[in-house]
Amino acid sequence: MKNSGLDKDSLQTLIDTLASFGKQKLPLKVRLDLDEKDIFPLDLIRELLGPDIGLHLLFIPEELGGLGGNAYDVYRVSEEMAKLDLGVATAFLAIFLGTDPIVVGATEEQRTYWLRRIADEGLIVAYAVTEPLAGSELSAIRTRAERVMENGEVKGYKINGTKQFISNGGYAQLYTVLAMAPEGPTFFAVEQGTPGLVPGKHENKLGIRSSNTSPVTFEDVYLPKQNLLGGVEGKGLVHAQSVFGFTRLMVAAFGLGGGVAAMLRAIRYARERVQAGSPLAEKQGYMDKLIVPHVVRLEAARALIEETAHRLDQGEPELQTEGAIVKLFATEAGNAAADAAIQAHGGYGYTREYEVEKIRRDVRITTIYEGTSEIMQWTVSRDRWRLHLQDHGQYYKKIAASLEALHREHSDVGADAAALAVNVVQETTERCRVGRLTRNQHVLFELGELMTRAEIAANFARYAAGQAAPKYQPFFAPSALKAMSRICAREAALDVLGLAVRLVRGMDAVDDAGIADFERALRSSAITACAKGLMSDMDVVAKALNEQDAARA
Amino acid sequence: MKILVPCKRVPNPDLKLKVANGSVDLAGTTWQVNPFDEYAVEAALRLTEKGKGGERVGEVVVVSIGPKDTSAQLKQLLAMGANRAILVAGDDSALDSDLVARILRAVVAAEKPDLVITGKQAVDGDDNQVGQILAASLGWPQATFLASILLAADGKSATVTREVDAGVEERRVRLPAIMTVDLRIIGKKAVRNEALAPATAEWEDTQRLASLKGIMAAKKKELREITVESLGVAGGILVKTLRHEAPPARKAGVKVASVEELVAKLHNEAKVI
Repeated sequence: MKNSGLDKDSLQTLIDTLASFGKQKLPLKVRLDLDEKDIFPLDLIRELLGPDIGLHLLFIPEELGGLGGNAYDVYRVSEEMAKLDLGVATAFLAIFLGTDPIVVGATEEQRTYWLRRIADEGLIVAYAVTEPLAGSELSAIRTRAERVMENGEVKGYKINGTKQFISNGGYAQLYTVLAMAPEGPTFFAVEQGTPGLVPGKHENKLGIRSSNTSPVTFEDVYLPKQNLLGGVEGKGLVHAQSVFGFTRLMVAAFGLGGGVAAMLRAIRYARERVQAGSPLAEKQGYMDKLIVPHVVRLEAARALIEETAHRLDQGEPELQTEGAIVKLFATEAGNAAADAAIQAHGGYGYTREYEVEKIRRDVRITTIYEGTSEIMQWTVSRDRWRLHLQDHGQYYKKIAASLEALHREHSDVGADAAALAVNVVQETTERCRVGRLTRNQHVLFELGELMTRAEIAANFARYAAGQAAPKYQPFFAPSALKAMSRICAREAALDVLGLAVRLVRGMDAVDDAGIADFERALRSSAITACAKGLMSDMDVVAKALNEQDAARA
Repeated sequence: MKILVPCKRVPNPDLKLKVANGSVDLAGTTWQVNPFDEYAVEAALRLTEKGKGGERVGEVVVVSIGPKDTSAQLKQLLAMGANRAILVAGDDSALDSDLVARILRAVVAAEKPDLVITGKQAVDGDDNQVGQILAASLGWPQATFLASILLAADGKSATVTREVDAGVEERRVRLPAIMTVDLRIIGKKAVRNEALAPATAEWEDTQRLASLKGIMAAKKKELREITVESLGVAGGILVKTLRHEAPPARKAGVKVASVEELVAKLHNEAKVI
């Protein structure tokens, strides 16, 4: 279903409200305090959900008293929240996630009842799915839902089991719980205070320490049958799967937001810190290692986040593969950027008061929750592999051809290098098919990485050529964006070439005679030739970053 | 009680101003409501509600003069709780305090508010003129730089204070009147309507944010766009801008080795002692 979401002005007002809220209620001292003392700011979360803000209304449909925000709106809000504090953002994510089984799986009557209550009461919601023995493998859940019969009919269910790592688990007023019913995994709605529902001890975590993460135990929790979401047993896994496109987009925006927050601090520091006669921000060695490559990757991630959000809002269903690509790339980019930001601050980065080490610890969760990076790699290669077998490699061949066409019109966005990267992916996937290499799990994961890198570069080239989503508000001038896109495409082409040779040669899929043919098919000499111009492009980006920071007071 | 709140949009003060070739370069700037005007809206909202979060009694109308995209700032004020918005098409380069006051006088004539509240000045030009000129031209009482407003139960007068060098000055002003507000006006108990809120009523000591409910409600509120001509106001300004100039960069200081050297420098070079 098409969702046009908020108009531009309303979205901007909402972002301004969040920024003002952050300034008033979450200044640096408070953020550091919550982190150090491991405090879940319940009052602050209540305020976010209260009448003065009402942030949860963003994802409640208009007809049920919400704002009816779309994927694009949710991405922008997620990024801003993540820039502020990823722990507080996680509480919000959990509410969104916990509400999802109701949005996608509930009957019309249940949907109206629960969403109205969430909208009006600002309920803190938790998504209780993960278990000690069921993480990436959801079908392994041990929590049972036994039927309770009366006069030969199902009257309700009795839930027994333990859930692990539940965000908001200790404070939620409503839990959506996945339990194994006789017909299969099924979602149930359970309210706080239901007898037998026992939240456990809060986890002491590396980062996002302002978020609450607790186990939740269910001991003979009795639920009337109207709490079975959707009214039919066995639909739980389908419901859980169908929202991944959306929720992974949110976590991708978290990775982006964390990375951007760290980079903004590093760039400001670099402009103020003078060593050997000039600010660090004017030193090429510093910028081209610690800043520029990370900003490029973050903006490449942003480009695909926006494109995926736009497609979801146009009504394309699920987009699980794109969700996986963008989550994998954005969260890894966010982690690398936050790590580089510590290095960029030198010894100061290792102290708490500069906050970058906190951002580093916070953003670390994003490559783990909502599907680990490795599960993302596997998801991408599984889906694209299936496509490759169905259409005999046409998917990537078409993308490569369209990039070559783009390059003829816009020769300055790196579309030629991106086309080369896509070609490597196509050739390598085909070689893996012929050599039956995907029997090796390592190959599958690596293929996922290859595909991700190429698709990110391909999309960034289109984005820099001006084919961005309509609500797009540029963060950089077109000339800087184009330089970034060229850097991204070059890096992708060179990296996937290395990865491809490593895979195919490393699995002994070609002999000494065959490797030359393979490298010719990968067009390796064209790829090495496209490294040309890297230095001057990085200078362009470094200059743009300096100027952008100088414009901020 | 109907309150008119004139508001101006100003460049984001978190961005550095670029001055080149005798003018301010505003390309690429982002805009926001002048903070003092936002405080004025907060004051107007408090004067028309039964305590914090209470029902609204009366009407708050915001008015701005600016280009079309000033609608973004007006929508934010509607989302905060204002009832209606009026946008008079105009551009800063063809406006001065006198013309703004004449336009507002025409809006006042059309809207007939009981009270006009606005910021003491806009943080871009810092002219601090519009409220005073408007009051004089309407022949209404004016109360400027207010730190508090207590509206009498009969709605016919208000007791207001402002901070002066010697302390706090308190006055009673009869309505209709023009009031301009300073930053103290957003204090917890700074503004109250005796007819609506008890003496114990308290608000947050800040202007309210645009809540999501407010943003939703704002979509259905009226935002009327009109022209200066439709108000029967002739254009033309009295202030001529010659050029803009950035303040000269400060010279780097020097370190002195002793008190004697410092005194000598202050006496001989700076000639201040």
